[in-house]
Amino acid sequence: MSSLTSFDPEESKEKNENQSPTITKDRPKAPVYQTKALNLWYGQTHALKDINLPIFENEVTAIIGPSGCGKSTYIKTLNRMVEMVESVKISGEILYRDKNIFDKNYRVEELRTRVGMVFQKPNPFPKTIFENVAYGPKVHGIRDKKLLKQIVENSLKGAAIWEEVKDRLHENAYGLSGGQQQRLCIARCLAIEPDVILMDEPTSALDPKSTLKVEELVQELKKNYSIVIVTHNMQQAARISDKTAFFLNGEVVENEKTDFIFSTPNDNRTEDYISGRFG
Amino acid sequence: MTVRENFNLEMIELKEEIKLLGSMVEKAFFDTMDAFHSKNKAKFEQIIENDKYINAIELDINEKATLLIAKQQPVASDLRKIIVALKVSSDLERMGDLAVDLAKAAERMHDYEKFKEYEISLLEMANKAQHMMNNVLIAYKESKVMDAQHVASMDDVVDAAYGEFIWKIINITITDKRDIEHITQMTFIARYIERIADYCTNISEWIIYEVNGQRFDLN
Repeated sequence: MSSLTSFDPEESKEKNENQSPTITKDRPKAPVYQTKALNLWYGQTHALKDINLPIFENEVTAIIGPSGCGKSTYIKTLNRMVEMVESVKISGEILYRDKNIFDKNYRVEELRTRVGMVFQKPNPFPKTIFENVAYGPKVHGIRDKKLLKQIVENSLKGAAIWEEVKDRLHENAYGLSGGQQQRLCIARCLAIEPDVILMDEPTSALDPKSTLKVEELVQELKKNYSIVIVTHNMQQAARISDKTAFFLNGEVVENEKTDFIFSTPNDNRTEDYISGRFG
Repeated sequence: MTVRENFNLEMIELKEEIKLLGSMVEKAFFDTMDAFHSKNKAKFEQIIENDKYINAIELDINEKATLLIAKQQPVASDLRKIIVALKVSSDLERMGDLAVDLAKAAERMHDYEKFKEYEISLLEMANKAQHMMNNVLIAYKESKVMDAQHVASMDDVVDAAYGEFIWKIINITITDKRDIEHITQMTFIARYIERIADYCTNISEWIIYEVNGQRFDLN
């Protein structure tokens, strides 16, 4: 846990101030999420233990760890989806844009319009491609057809699938390949103009070519969104993320820059996991 | 057998091959200086000829290391071990080339009693470099950072001997034009020995990188 303290935005701010003004690459980014002393239980099972984790804007944060380590639970806590499980009990805070999402007055619907989610298995609605993307904006009251068309086109372009589907927008989404369906789900997510995109193993059901497309897309999307991605694929985390948090038995063992985690991790357990000695 | 055990076994094999390469280079350097001492011209030819085996082993190590990266996709210390294996084998191969350069320079020298004292200085310098080479190969085999640092500190002694030698040699009064060729070759030999010691320091740096991921300039 000590490694968490090494990731202090204030410290990096200080460092940045000492640098030449022309160097903007390491400009400190604002935290979108701040998780503070988060504990979560499923009944008697202590699934998340004292999690302290910042997530920064316009970055890709990868969450890695063996099965059952709490990474999916954590990502589902970020949009409070985890509360759908009845026996769940939570303590601690998650601040999203400085507001505690567990506050009594916090509107979960508002949170979910700001935080989109993409799942392991593509889950398009049994509707046309167009309807899949237009669904969210419609729910939010957009009726103007011209505007809806524009949103659909922009979202599909944003998800790098427009060229493949522009001539078949009114066909059923189930006719698309797995990789296309997943990018459609990403487009659906973009249509509500989120701030954060949570991805729970978004490529584990995809072939290598589709995986590559989604990975390229993630790189592109981080310019405008903050992305948290749970992945079992170590190379994927190394390739696409800026920060990596290693979860083990419900704890964050290490949270650091990805380049650091995959070259000289602080903790032996991180080293053992990323080099395949367990998990 | 798990994937990890496989990786460990292949890594052991790779290190064994580097050990072999190291011993071949060590022998080439030793034989060269030995032949230089005994003026054994036939031996020089043999050393030059044998360099192709050193090159072949280095190529084989490169191929094995590349395959290991492709198949096992190592990270962190596993990746460093392979990168260092590549660097060390490349440095050893260069040292092998320097042994050949030494042999060629020594071959061009005549049995010339006049410069005996200088030749003894060169042999002493080579002795120090050999000691470094031997120690650095053991440090690499055993991944010992302290020993690697000790080898690097020995480089200063070789550098000082080199400086002293060059200083001595430029002060020779040339009375015969044959002296020029002889002196030139001795200068080359001193330089090659000094370079071999530098490569030993390089390997020391790689050992430290392999063990704790930090790069130091020990030169």
